[in-house]
Amino acid sequence: MRLGLVYLFILFSLGLSGQNPGVSTDSINPENLDPVVISATRTQRQLSSLPMPTQFIPQKEIEAINAIRLTDLLSEQTGLITVPDFGGGQGIQMQGLDSQYTLVMIDGVPLIGRSAGTLDLSRITVGNIKQIEIVRGASSSLYGNEALGGIINIITQEPKFGKTTRIDYRAGSLSTHDLRGQYAERNEVSQWSVFLNRLSSSGYDLIADDALQTVEPYRNHTAQIKYKGDLNPLTKIQLSGRFYNQSQDYRASSTLTGDSEINEFNTTLHLSRQPMPNWTQEFEWYTTRYRAEEFLNDEFGDLFSQSMFDQWFSRPELRLIRESDNKGTWIGGLGLTYQKLSRTDFYGAPEFYAPYAYAQYDKDIQDKLNLVIGARYDIHNEYASAFSPKLALRYKINRNIALKSSVGYGFKTPDFRQLYFDFTNATAGYTVLGYNAVPVRLPELQAAGNILNLTVPLSEFDDPLRPERSVAMNLGLDVKLSSDVKWNLNLFRNDIRDLIDTRVIAQKTNGQNVFSYYNLSRVYTQGLESDFSARLTPNLNLSLGYQFLMARDKDAEDAFKNGAVFARLPPSSPVSRLESTDYLGLVNRSKHSANAKLFFNDPKWKLNGSIRVTYRSAFGLFDTNGNNYLDRYDTLVPGYAILDFSLNKQLNKKFRLGTGIDNLLDFTNPAQLSNIPGRLIYATLTFNLNKT
Amino acid sequence: MKKNGLILLSTVLMLFYSCSKDDNNPPQDNQADSVLFSNLHAPQITDYTQNPPLASGPFVKFDFSSGDITNSDSDWDIAFRGTTILVNGGTATGIEEAPERNGIAGAYLVNGLFSEINDINTQGFIQDGPNGLAIPTGSGNGWYTYDSSLAAIYPIPGKVLVLKTADGKYAKMEILSYYKDAPEIITQDIALEDLRYYTFNYVYLDDANATSF
Repeated sequence: MRLGLVYLFILFSLGLSGQNPGVSTDSINPENLDPVVISATRTQRQLSSLPMPTQFIPQKEIEAINAIRLTDLLSEQTGLITVPDFGGGQGIQMQGLDSQYTLVMIDGVPLIGRSAGTLDLSRITVGNIKQIEIVRGASSSLYGNEALGGIINIITQEPKFGKTTRIDYRAGSLSTHDLRGQYAERNEVSQWSVFLNRLSSSGYDLIADDALQTVEPYRNHTAQIKYKGDLNPLTKIQLSGRFYNQSQDYRASSTLTGDSEINEFNTTLHLSRQPMPNWTQEFEWYTTRYRAEEFLNDEFGDLFSQSMFDQWFSRPELRLIRESDNKGTWIGGLGLTYQKLSRTDFYGAPEFYAPYAYAQYDKDIQDKLNLVIGARYDIHNEYASAFSPKLALRYKINRNIALKSSVGYGFKTPDFRQLYFDFTNATAGYTVLGYNAVPVRLPELQAAGNILNLTVPLSEFDDPLRPERSVAMNLGLDVKLSSDVKWNLNLFRNDIRDLIDTRVIAQKTNGQNVFSYYNLSRVYTQGLESDFSARLTPNLNLSLGYQFLMARDKDAEDAFKNGAVFARLPPSSPVSRLESTDYLGLVNRSKHSANAKLFFNDPKWKLNGSIRVTYRSAFGLFDTNGNNYLDRYDTLVPGYAILDFSLNKQLNKKFRLGTGIDNLLDFTNPAQLSNIPGRLIYATLTFNLNKT
Repeated sequence: MKKNGLILLSTVLMLFYSCSKDDNNPPQDNQADSVLFSNLHAPQITDYTQNPPLASGPFVKFDFSSGDITNSDSDWDIAFRGTTILVNGGTATGIEEAPERNGIAGAYLVNGLFSEINDINTQGFIQDGPNGLAIPTGSGNGWYTYDSSLAAIYPIPGKVLVLKTADGKYAKMEILSYYKDAPEIITQDIALEDLRYYTFNYVYLDDANATSF
């Protein structure tokens, strides 16, 4: 990306590194130079110099653990929890916020296709990834919508000079085959690369005595091409395209069978120009489409049901960057997001237009203090505008200790479903209406004689549904205990208001309800993240991570405090009044989560490998004792630990052999954790050829 | 050092395990003068070929003054069928096979401990009518929630029904269970086989001028 700029930044970074010994957070090899990341400020910055909590996962770690999908990798990071979605997908929970509040990007542009709020991260192959950057805490000041809890940015590989060919194959349990091929060329003026991946699996079945599998067989394909070159001595051009296709068996019962299909493409055009030293102009146009379809046939082969989800997203953006050694770095951006969705069970085919502008200033004040201040203004054709400022500071107390703090605003506009859903369940008979669909569809249902009474007056739908807003605070400490031992600690709090929830708005004559969405909840998440890493010997690295989390609804806290929450202890007996200390908070949040990873490397035998364990304490999935709150008398999902093991051997310059076992102890919880398939054994073979 | 790290980690993990268990339940709400009625069977026939499913079958009527179910056409206060509860007051709502309402009964729902619900809001009683039942149906609307994973009905803890009887006296009741013999754990089999057996606590006041229990 932006070659000229990169050189500038490298120079700039080198200038910085002289005065800034810094602490790397998550590098598995402390011998590495301090890694450079781009996501936190949208400019190249040394990881250790950043004032906001930023994590970095290098390709080395991806290869050491033989990961194939993004979920494999993220679930092992401190404070990131993979949460299964009912559609079989998996999202990520960060700082206790649901996956719909984390913006996920590839090379700085967002992924779409959240049919039920969750973005399925198992859709992303890690085969061509250079590094993954994770910024915690609201980042809407740069990225706008969805960056409420933070961002995950997946940076794809840049070709090496010369010609590179690489083929990877992994085969394992559940008839899983992952085949990847890459070819890239690079010289002084241009570079291009192509990457192909095919993954297929027979899925798995945790509950044997029903007609369905837990995950049905699937196969998917990813293709990515990139080109970068000079248009003229001042202007660089970059083109990239990514295509994804997945088809999976779809089964609803022993007689209803069909297929589900996902097709996605992303294209980016990127131009950058350097009209004079220190100034860079960038233009980026990103377009993506996500289309999912599924159908079911009955036992006679006749169509029983079908549904479709088709989303378009297009965003042109203009950026201007001015850099100077002593006057700080300015970055400003101007853009427009266009989105369109057509979907089964939808009221109309809505379109969103959202222009925006942002600016950020990044400056080192003397040697000790770094300041990043920025703000973004988003206008939307359906909602109130959002202003999202952010301030971050890093203060070097001495050579080995630095204090970091950031405060930022985040927002997430209601998604299409929350506004335009128009769905009636065919078997149970309840109805869900999007907020904007209510004033039209509810009177229609009334006229048809389907409504018994309204529990919420229609006038409550006069004002538009408000975006969900948050204020995020992070306060952290980077400590370099010795050249081999590093520790960082971060305290966080996210305060969210206008969280969108569902409620009953009318009763139907069939005894069922009509549901819609509304701004209700005020929730907060707060806690502590700690990462410790130590190089025990030159070839042995240990890292320990821990997160403490409280995620709570303020109205629920009030209800407990006012003595308005009861439970039957034991069930079917007279009630008891619960106390504040009985409240457990939001569903699917573990109070404690931890990981320990040991990476080893034997240069003599050309062996490397890892042993990793991740742990998550007990959590509630839903209220089990009828009082609508999670309390400590509810049935919880017990805490669990997953142990993984990997071993790789470099045979010669070209070939590498690997093996491993994920979930070595074969942990499963069929009823409550559908995303954990049990022990998986695999082997990998890599062929790598680089000619210069 | 590696060993030490792992030992440290496992110790920390064990500490979390050990401090999370504490089984002192808060005190149960037991009112001395309340009467327990067990296993009021209120069957219902549901025709799932209709959309929405159509419920039918006779209602089982209950009379607070005698403290028992009754076949009387006039001397009943509330009537049960499945999860639906009618009061003997108001007008017909279109529910199939509902008994004729010929009293002045009404009801309202309050949140709280059964023993603490002592005031009677004499102006607060709602009767059955075209806008719905005094005791609303549907999960979370009235006295129960529906758990779709087991297809089980749970009485909402802390929901107390305050009732005016057909002849203008008062009662309060708390439904404890919807399953036969009020089992502690509702299994899949119980949810399918032993449903529609009400167990409830009630206090009846034989006094039309009362303002509190």
